[in-house]
Formats: sequence, structure tokens, C-alpha cells
Amino acid sequence: MAPLDDAKPTTVTDVRGPDGHPLDIPRLACGAMADLQSFPAHVKHNERLGYPGELIDDWKEVAIAKIGELADKNRAFQVYLDACVKCGACTDKCHYFLGTGDPKNMPVARQDLLRSVYRRYYTFAGKHFPWLVGARDLTREVLDDWYNYYHQCSQCRRCSVFCPYGIDTAEISMAAREILDTVGKGQKYCNEIIGKVLDTGNNLGLQEKALRATLESLEEDIEEDTGVSVRIPLDEKGADILLIAPSADFFAEPHIEGLIGYAKVFHQAGVSWTVSSYASEAANFGLFIGSYENMREVSLRIRKAAQDLGVKRIVFGECGHAWRVGYSFLNTLAGPFDFLDQNFPIPQHILEFTHGMLERGELNIDKSRNDHIRLTFHDSCNVARGSRMGDMPGGQFEIPRAVLRAVCNNYFDMDRDTIMESTVCCGGGGGLLTDELLDLRTKGASPRMKAMQQVTEDHGVTHLAAICAICKTQFAKVMPKFGYDMDSILSVHQLVSNAIILDGQETNNTSAAED
Amino acid sequence: MAAYEVNGTTVEHDEEGYITNLSEWSKELAEIIAKAEEVDMNEEHWEVVNFLRDYYEEYQIAPAVRVLIKAVKKTMGPEKGSNKYMYELFPYGPAKQACKIAGLPKPTGCI
Amino acid sequence: MLSTLYAVLFYFATILLVVGTGLKIRKYARTPAPLKIPTTPAPTTRSGVWLRMFREVVFFESLFKANKWIWLFGYLFHFGLLLVLLRHFRYFTQPVWFWVEIIQPFGVYASFAMVIGLAGLWARRFLVERIRYISAPSDHLMLVLLLAIGLSGMGMKFVAKTDIVAVKIFFQGLMRFQINDLPTDPLLLIHLGLVASLMIIFPISKLLHAPGLFFSPSRNQVDNPREQRHLAPWAAKLEKGGR
Repeated sequence: MAPLDDAKPTTVTDVRGPDGHPLDIPRLACGAMADLQSFPAHVKHNERLGYPGELIDDWKEVAIAKIGELADKNRAFQVYLDACVKCGACTDKCHYFLGTGDPKNMPVARQDLLRSVYRRYYTFAGKHFPWLVGARDLTREVLDDWYNYYHQCSQCRRCSVFCPYGIDTAEISMAAREILDTVGKGQKYCNEIIGKVLDTGNNLGLQEKALRATLESLEEDIEEDTGVSVRIPLDEKGADILLIAPSADFFAEPHIEGLIGYAKVFHQAGVSWTVSSYASEAANFGLFIGSYENMREVSLRIRKAAQDLGVKRIVFGECGHAWRVGYSFLNTLAGPFDFLDQNFPIPQHILEFTHGMLERGELNIDKSRNDHIRLTFHDSCNVARGSRMGDMPGGQFEIPRAVLRAVCNNYFDMDRDTIMESTVCCGGGGGLLTDELLDLRTKGASPRMKAMQQVTEDHGVTHLAAICAICKTQFAKVMPKFGYDMDSILSVHQLVSNAIILDGQETNNTSAAED
Repeated sequence: MAAYEVNGTTVEHDEEGYITNLSEWSKELAEIIAKAEEVDMNEEHWEVVNFLRDYYEEYQIAPAVRVLIKAVKKTMGPEKGSNKYMYELFPYGPAKQACKIAGLPKPTGCI
Repeated sequence: MLSTLYAVLFYFATILLVVGTGLKIRKYARTPAPLKIPTTPAPTTRSGVWLRMFREVVFFESLFKANKWIWLFGYLFHFGLLLVLLRHFRYFTQPVWFWVEIIQPFGVYASFAMVIGLAGLWARRFLVERIRYISAPSDHLMLVLLLAIGLSGMGMKFVAKTDIVAVKIFFQGLMRFQINDLPTDPLLLIHLGLVASLMIIFPISKLLHAPGLFFSPSRNQVDNPREQRHLAPWAAKLEKGGR
């Protein structure tokens, strides 16, 4: 794939802009990202999910009908298509617009790609005066534009915070991807992965034997490190807690350090817990492609695993969109969970669990073990704007920070306009964490990276903590482009793991303090 | 679909350069893929590639990075058993780039 | 003749406004929201949602967070318009409701706020590159229409006064299905003609943002998915189809 910035007049690849504010608004660079196309799904990927293998002959009629169907099935889609007044409040809110300058990456313009077609076929004004209201026929060019630009949206919902009507581009983008899937124009990254979950239980395609070997290897590592035998049980019937972690936690760095952290916390809590090989995945890419049915299929695996293993509680690991699906949708998609212990939140986030233990003073913490780290925290978008932790609104901001402050002496927040409900996406969410989109991912990460550079300058911040598998992978990949080491990104439970002193742990052990 | 040329035969690969039929892998092919990736294969690269292939044969998947590093530590010594060193060997990442050269499917997911 | 024409126009416009908007509201109300998607942090109770909605409607809270200029002009326009509209009740009530009398003097100045707000919003459509990009002809025309309504109304108040008593008799007559004589000043006819067009296009245009806001799931849903299971009717059917 040709680098786009050679051919097109983008202006903002240099992260240190004129005055370097993370949210500096670029000049428009029309068409800058028009040719960026993520790999289309192969026939087998689409068919596995029940979609046509490739673009069908009557795609136009089917796509138009699908718009109507979605408008009947989903109030958000209907209202959001109608309500926009083009006030422009959202135009500078998307990190991909800020990073690329391409006007079609402005939320309202991204919505308009679909809204213009909706208007043409479903509204009086658009049917009779298309030129007046910006209505367009659905053509092959429009369809390709949909594919390219709806795969430049990480569905982070930042625009929805600022829209006076709460219009959420994520909803439009999910609907658009569902329409594209329906006509046989799926995206490889998402569809291949959902297929793998349906076949093996996780995004990686990790089979039970490999999972068991990995977990055993980790148990060895922990014991070697601490002198304490900490278990990471797999498929243990009758355990109290089923841990649903993103499969990246079994595979990638720094994710796996987070898993070790969960294990230590559970160990200290003295609860019995288990991972399931059948539902060995928190991620649910059904969300990204806007497919209720696929999202439900994946969610039902969690229900089945919980029933088969006879657990009483479900706890989710660090995964952003998974927590949105877990917190906001699991009860809808796979509930009711009347067979679980009703005294605990269903499901519960691992941070809620750890936070509770810290509050009750049930963890022995040596904060100085993180003294080599000067830390900031990246609010993951799906957690920040699509879920909650704890009892109070905003607990999703307070609880991770409370945990980090409890385990680390040097904590600093980034610019207020780039955190909490205004957090800027890592640049890799929503099904964009694929190599062929790296150029977009890097540009989209620039607002976050600028905000990080500010706290590095002001407070000497060295590390970034995150609670999302996608964020962690994305940052490991792009941080080197912004002057940080790839291991500057940490799991939140990695920091917990560093600081926790297990009962019986040899405390002269210094390996946890290694950078 | 595009293909690599190995001693006059063609080996198909997908849009990202991963071979589609894993049984068509050979050492010669690995060298060719490595060249396309701008990786100059030395003994240490081969050590990693061989480990990946053995692991895949047993588990039908590439190992976790940490598991790979642990194995490398055992065979090549502790100073080489680090994530950083793996990236020196395979700049695009041990999981993805090394898998490609080893003829394994691309690991997918949030990794 | 002219009076009859305007009478018919206003009956027609009123029916379209009420029925058209009513049908749209019915569509919004009947379309299920399959998932819980409030933009969080969100209220955890129904009364909290009322409060959130109140802040959106009365203060344009989200818009304030987004962009102070758009907020300022938008706020001037909308609350100017509100006061002006309330002031117009004096042409439909006899005796005039007492609170309309109280609002009356403010309503006059509110028209300035309204026009300034509209002018500011329109200027942004030319001056701000991003907003120029997203503006369709209808977005300009809508502002022109509202501006023309405001200016023609102000013209009658401040420049060429119309026979306001006769206008009131005309509209009171319409409310009793009688057609009385409407004065024929050009400004009045322009003003009324434009108002009728606004009423007509309301249900088929972006003016639907007004009812739309109340049905926006990201704003009107309670954040309680773990406590209370939310299920759309079509999703319930899907479940019956086999778990």
C-alpha cells in the first residue's frame, strides 16, 4: 500500500504541531484518506458469519432495503439520521480528523456518507429535491466510500459527547458496516476474527491445549518470580468466578502481565476462579460490525461457559469494548443471569474487584516497587463513554485512577480535554487494529500522543497505563513513532502485579522493579 | 492471488504475505520471505523460526511472545531473552513477522 | 381573495405541521432501541435522565462543551425565538394571557437576539472551513428563511407598522373557522407566507431535531443495564427462535 501522505496534501503527520496542543485543528485536506482501504474479507470469512461471500449483484437494492430495515429496528439509527442540523459542533472532535485533516473524517461528514443516501430514498425532500438537501444516489463510488471511511471510525463515541442531540457516529458506522456485510462487502480483520471465536472460542484461534500450556508457563513464571505458587486455573468446574479476559491477555505484551496481575489478586482474595477454554475471549467484534446476531452468538458462549462450569460470578479482564458489551449489553444479549450470585454485579470488572480489595485493605502493597515509573492513564473510549464501574456515574474514571494511585507513587493526569469522557481514542479501536491501516492508526493516535508528550514535559511521565487490549497493542506499535519505547505502555494490573506482596513472597526479590 | 517464486515453483500467499498452504513451506521459501521483509536471516533468526514451527506443530498456533522469549532465553542465553531483542531480530514483531517467515498463519486478534 | 388564500395556506400548514410531526414522533416512539447506549457517565435513575434532558434542552449543555461560538449564537437564536413565539400568543388569545403581557416587552428585544444569533450561525457557514464543507444548500436556506421571518417581523414592529388589530381578528377568526380580512401590507404577507412555509417543511427537514432530541437513546436512557434487563421486542422474538 502506497503511503498516503506522499500523494495527498495532509498537513499533520508531524505530531509537534505549531503550538503543539493535542486538539489543534488541522486545515482540511480533501481526499487525504480516500484511498485507504482495509483488506476486504475473503469469501469464507463472510460466509462463516452468514453473509454473502462477495459483493452480490443486486447490492444496491439490498443495501437500500437494509437502511429501511435498520431504521425500523433501531431507534438510534432513525433519530440520528433525521436530527442532525449540521451545526458543526462535532467537526473537530474526531481524532482521525485531527490526525489526517480529511474532512470525511469529521463525524458529521462521516454520517452524511450514509445520511445522504437515506435522504435520497427515504425522505420527501431527498426524493424530490436531492440537490437541495445533499441527497445522493447509491452508486458504486458511494459504496466504496462507505467501506473506506466507515473503516476509519473507531466507534469511540467522542463525538456523541459533544453533539447537542447526542448523535453517536458509532451507531451510524456500525449500521453502515452491517449494510456492507449484508451485501457481501465485509472487512477481513473483523470477520475473520469473529469466525475464529465461533470456531475456537477466541480471536486468536487458541485451542485448549495451547491455552493450558501458556497458563502453566505463566504459573511457573510467577512462582519463579515470587516464590509463591499462584494458580491460573482452566476449565475448573465449581469455581466461584469465571474470568473472561481478552485472548490477547494469553498472548501479547504487556497484556499478559495484566493477566498475571489478575491471578495475584484472585490468589490474595482466596477465591476460587477459572478461565474457560470455551469462552476464552472477552472481545466481541460483533459490536464493531454492528451485528446484534453475531454479538449475541459470541455473548452466549459466556453464558454457556458460566453454566457448564457452575460458577457463581463473572469477572471481566482489561478489555475496553468487551467491557462495554459486558456491562451494557451482556444482560440483554445473554441474560437473564438468574443462576449467578445476585450479591455481586453481573458481570463485574476486574478493577471493581481489585478496587474493593484495596479499599478493604486486603492487599499488601509496596508502592515503591513502581517508583521507577512516572505514570499517566489512558481512558479507553468504550469504558469511558459506553459503560460504568462501581455504583456512581463516572466510576469508570475514578476506580482505575484510585487503583493506580494505590499502587504507584507518581501518577499524573493528562490534559482534561483529552481524558475521562473526553478521552481521545488510542487510534486502533473499533476493528481498525490491522496492519494495513497503520498509517491511519498513527495519525489517529497523534492527539493522545501529544497529550502524553505534554505530561512528559511537565511531569517527566514515562509510562502510560491502559485497560484495553486494543489500546495496549496499538500503543506498543505507535509509541515508538512518538519518541517512546514500545514497553512504555503498561497494563493496569501489571502495575498492581508489580506492587503486590503475596503472602509468603520473598520480599528481597527485585525482579518486579525491573523496567 | 500473489505468490512467492521458489526454485521455479510458485507458493501462493495472501494479501499480507502469509503463505496460504502451510505445507508448502521450505527453508528456501523462508529466506525469500525474509528478503521481502528486509530481514537478513542469521542463526538466531533460524533459532526463533524453528522454535515457532515446532511449537505450531504441537499446538496449532504460535506461542505467546512471553513463551517464545522464555524459550529463547534457555537456548540463546538470558541477555537475548527479551522483547527488545526479539524486535531487533524481527522489527515488525516476533509474533507477526517471524510467523510469516516461519510459514505460519498470521496471529489474529487484539495483538 | 388574498385573505382566503392565506387562510387556506395556514390551515394546510397547520395540518401538515401537526400530522407530519405527530407521525414522525410516533415513528420514533415505536422504533425500539435494541441496546442500552447512553453516553456515559449517564444518570442511573429516571429522574436523573429528566435532569440531563432538562440541561440539554434549557442550557444546550453538550453544545456548550463542544463549541462556545456555536453555543452562543445557537442560544441567542433559540431563546430569542422562544420569547418571540410566546409573545405572539397575544395574537391568538383574548383577553391576552397575563404572562404573555409580562413577556411582551422582552419579546421585542428577543427578536434582536434571534436575528443576531441567526446571522452568526450563517456567517459560520461561510467563514469556518469545516462548517462550509458540511453545509448543503438547504442548510443555508433554512437560516435565510428564519432570518427573513425575523427581519420581516421586526420590520413591522419598528419600520412599517401593520394593522395589528386586523391581523389579530384574522387569526382569531381562523380559530373559529371564519375568514376575516387580512391587511395587505407586503411585509405582513411576506412574514406570514414564510412562517407557513416553515411550518410545512418542519416535519420533512432537519427541524426534526426538536422532537428528535427527546428520543435520542444516548441521552434519554438510564444507565442501569446490570440491574435491569433491557430487551427489544424483535430481540425477544429472536430469542424464542432458539437459544
